[in-house]
Amino acid sequence: MMLYPEIPIPPRSEHLWRYTPWKRIHPTNVAEMPQSDAIKMALGTDSEMEGSNEIGRSFIHSISNICKEIILTDESKELDLRCSGHICSGELKIKSSGNSSLIIRISGDSGWTGIRVLGDVSGQLSVALINDLSADCHLLRCEDWIVNRDSSLELSTLSTGGFLVKSDIRIKLDQNGAEVKGGIASNGHGSRHDDHHVEIDHKVGHTQSSLVMHAACNDSSHSVGTGLLSIRDGADKSNAGQVFRNLLLSEKARAEAIPELEVLADDVKAAHGAASAPIDSNQLHYLQSRGLSGDEASSLIVEGFLMDAFRDIKNQDVIASLRTRLLVHLECLING
Amino acid sequence: MSGETAREAVGDYRYGFHDPENATIRFDKGLSEQVVRDISELKNEPEWMTEIRVKAYNRFMEMPMPKWGNCNMLDQIDFDSITYFLRSSKGTENDWDDVPDDIKNTFNRLGIPEAEQKWLGGVTAQYESEAVYHSIRDDLEEQGVIFLDMDSGLREYPEIVKKYFCSVVPASDNKFSALNTAVWSGGSFLYIPKGVHVEMPVQAYFRINAKNMGQFERTMIIADEGSSIHYVEGCTAPTYSTESLHSAVVELIAMDGAKIRYSTVQNWSANVYNLVTKRGVAHANATIEWVDGNIGSKLTMKYPSVLLKGEGAHAEVISVAYAGKGQHQDAGAKVHHLAPNTTSNILSKSISKNGGRSSYRGMLQVTPKASGCRSKIVCDALMLDADSQSDTYPTMEVGNASADLEHEASVSKVSNDQLFYLMSRGHSEVEAMGLIVNGFFEPFTRELPMEYAVELNRLLELEMEGAIG
Repeated sequence: MMLYPEIPIPPRSEHLWRYTPWKRIHPTNVAEMPQSDAIKMALGTDSEMEGSNEIGRSFIHSISNICKEIILTDESKELDLRCSGHICSGELKIKSSGNSSLIIRISGDSGWTGIRVLGDVSGQLSVALINDLSADCHLLRCEDWIVNRDSSLELSTLSTGGFLVKSDIRIKLDQNGAEVKGGIASNGHGSRHDDHHVEIDHKVGHTQSSLVMHAACNDSSHSVGTGLLSIRDGADKSNAGQVFRNLLLSEKARAEAIPELEVLADDVKAAHGAASAPIDSNQLHYLQSRGLSGDEASSLIVEGFLMDAFRDIKNQDVIASLRTRLLVHLECLING
Repeated sequence: MSGETAREAVGDYRYGFHDPENATIRFDKGLSEQVVRDISELKNEPEWMTEIRVKAYNRFMEMPMPKWGNCNMLDQIDFDSITYFLRSSKGTENDWDDVPDDIKNTFNRLGIPEAEQKWLGGVTAQYESEAVYHSIRDDLEEQGVIFLDMDSGLREYPEIVKKYFCSVVPASDNKFSALNTAVWSGGSFLYIPKGVHVEMPVQAYFRINAKNMGQFERTMIIADEGSSIHYVEGCTAPTYSTESLHSAVVELIAMDGAKIRYSTVQNWSANVYNLVTKRGVAHANATIEWVDGNIGSKLTMKYPSVLLKGEGAHAEVISVAYAGKGQHQDAGAKVHHLAPNTTSNILSKSISKNGGRSSYRGMLQVTPKASGCRSKIVCDALMLDADSQSDTYPTMEVGNASADLEHEASVSKVSNDQLFYLMSRGHSEVEAMGLIVNGFFEPFTRELPMEYAVELNRLLELEMEGAIG
C-alpha cells in the first residue's frame, strides 16, 4: 500500500478529477500532509482503517487521527459529525445486518473537512448523508461500500452545505442478489461547487443498481455529476440504470454530467440518461396564480425536484429526515 | 501469416484483395522534418504551406499519445514503419481510360465508374497518397461549383485554402491532426457558390493498396450562403498482417443558411488504424449533418464535431459502428453550442460481436452565451455475445440556464422475443439475427444514397454470418 506522498497526482484527463482537480480540493499544498483535528463523532467504537492507493482516501487516512466503527443490527441510528478547526478529518467503518438505517449529518465550520467511510452491508441498510456544513467549508468525502449476497443498500445524499465539495463514492456488488439504490440531491447557491462521482461495479450476475442525481443550480454555482457503471464479464442478468438531471435556475449557473457505462456482459439491462433544463415557466405560472411569490414558487419546484431524487428510497424515516432538512435549507435561502 | 490465418483474423472482408505496387515515387519508411519538406517540395507548394507543415511536424513530435481511449492499441502504432508518401500515378486524370490499368481495375471492382455514371455529381478516387481520378459534372462546373482534389485546390485556389486551412481543425488540436497537417496529401476541395444546391451527391473514394501505408488526406468543404451539398466518402484497404494508418482531417464550413451533409461508410480492413479528426463550423441558420458508418478498421477513433457558431444553426449526427473480432470502434460525436437558439440531434448505434468493442464518446457543450439551445442524444448498443464489450462516455457541459438537453443510452442483447417471432415465420436464426441488425441500423441506412444503403446491408449480412453459435 502506497503512502500519500508516493501516490502520483492524478491528471485532469481522468474524469474523476476533470472538474475538481486534486490540487483544488487539497487543503494546502499537494506535497503537504497538514495537521488535522479529529471530527467529533458521537457514536461508535474506536477502530482502525487500512490505507489505500487512491489519492483522496490515502490522504485522509494519512492525516486522520480518529477512526470509529458502527455496527448496526436491525436498528436505526443517527450520527452527528461535528467538524471544527482549520483542517478536520476522520474515518468511519459501518457494518450492518438485518433491517437497519443510519442518518449521518455533517455540520460545523471547519475550513476543510475530509471524511472516509468504509461500509459492509448485509441485510437491508438505508443510509442518508446530510451535508449541512457552513457556507465556506471545503469537503472531501470518500466512500467505499460492499454489498453482500441478497443484501440491499439505499444510499441517499442531500448536499446543501459547504463551498467546495468533492464526493467520491464507490459501490461494489460482489455477490449474487446484491442491490443498491442511490439518490443524490444537490442544491447550488452562491458560488458553491458540488462534484459527485459515483462508481457502481457489478462484479457478478443477478445484481441490480439504480442511481438518480438531481442538481438544482442557482446563482453562479457549479454542479458536477460523473458516474461509472461497470458490468463485468459474466455478470449476466444484471440490471443497472443511472440518471443525472440538472435544473438550472440562473444564467451563470453551470452543470456538468458524465454518466459513463462499460458493459462486458450481454444478457443485461443497462441504461443511463442525463438531462438539463431551466425551470418550467408553466409550473411557475401555475403556482404564482395560486398566490405564491416567485421565490416561493421556485422554491417549491426545487423541493419537488430534489426530493424526486429519492424516489426509489423505501425507508420513510430517512425520507422524512431528508425532507425536513431540505425544507429548512430552502426556507433559509428565501428568508436569508 | 498464411492466407487462412489472415482470413481468420480479419473475417470475411471482400475488399481485402491487393494489386501489385507500381509506385512512381515511394518515400522511405519513417518520419522526419526532411520527409515533411520533401512532400511539400514534391508538390511544389507555396512557402507558407511548407511552414505550416514543419510547425505541425514539430507539434506532432512534442505531443504525447492520448492517455484515453484504447491506449494499448494506440501504443502499438510504430510511426517508423509507415510509408508517409507513395505516388502511384503520374497525375490526376479526368478520364478513366487514362488511369493506370491496375488502379483502374481496383476501382472497377469497387464499382466506382458505374456509380458515377448513374447517380453522382462528381467523383474523386484516391489511391495511396494522391488522387488518381477526378471528375465533375459539366452542369455543376458551369454553376461555379469547384470540386478538386486538395493538391489541385491548393495550386489553383491558394487564397481560399490559405484562409480556411486549419481554421476549423488547428494542427495542435490533437496528435493525429498535427500528423495530418505535417504530411497531408490528397483529399477533396469543394466550394459551392452562394445559393447553389447540388442535387446529386459527390463522392470520394479512398483506397490504400500498399503495406504499412499511411494515408493522410485532407478534405475541405466550403458551402457559401444558402447553398447545399451532399458529400459521400467510402474507404477500403487490402488485408495484410501488418498495420496501416489512416489519419485524415476534414474541415467543413457552412456559411449562413448553407447545408452540408457528409456521409461516410468506413470499411477499412481490420489491419488499419483509423484515427480521424472531422469538424465543421455552422454559421447562422446553417446545418451540418454527419452520417457516419464504421464497419471496418482495427481501431477507429473518430468523433465528428460541429461548432454551432451562428444563431439558429443546427447539427445532426447519425453514427453507427460495428465492432467484430479484434476491433475497437471508438466513435461518437461532439457538438458545441456557441450561439443562441442552436439545436442538435445525435443518434448513435453500435453492435459488438465476437469479442469486439464499441464505444460511444461524446461531448455536448453549451456556452454561457448560447441561450435557448436544444439538444437530444440517443445511444443504443446491441451486444451479440458474452465476449464483447460496449461502453458509453458522454459528457454534457451546460453553461446556460435556458438550455434544454437530453441524453439517453441503453445496452442490451437481441431480444429473444424478436428472434422467436421471426423464426416462427420461417427464418433461420442467422437470417432473423441479420434482419434485426439491419433494422437496428435502419435510421442510418435510410439517410444514405440507395447504393450505399444496399451495400451496407450486404456488408452487415456478411459480418453476421456465423454470428450464431
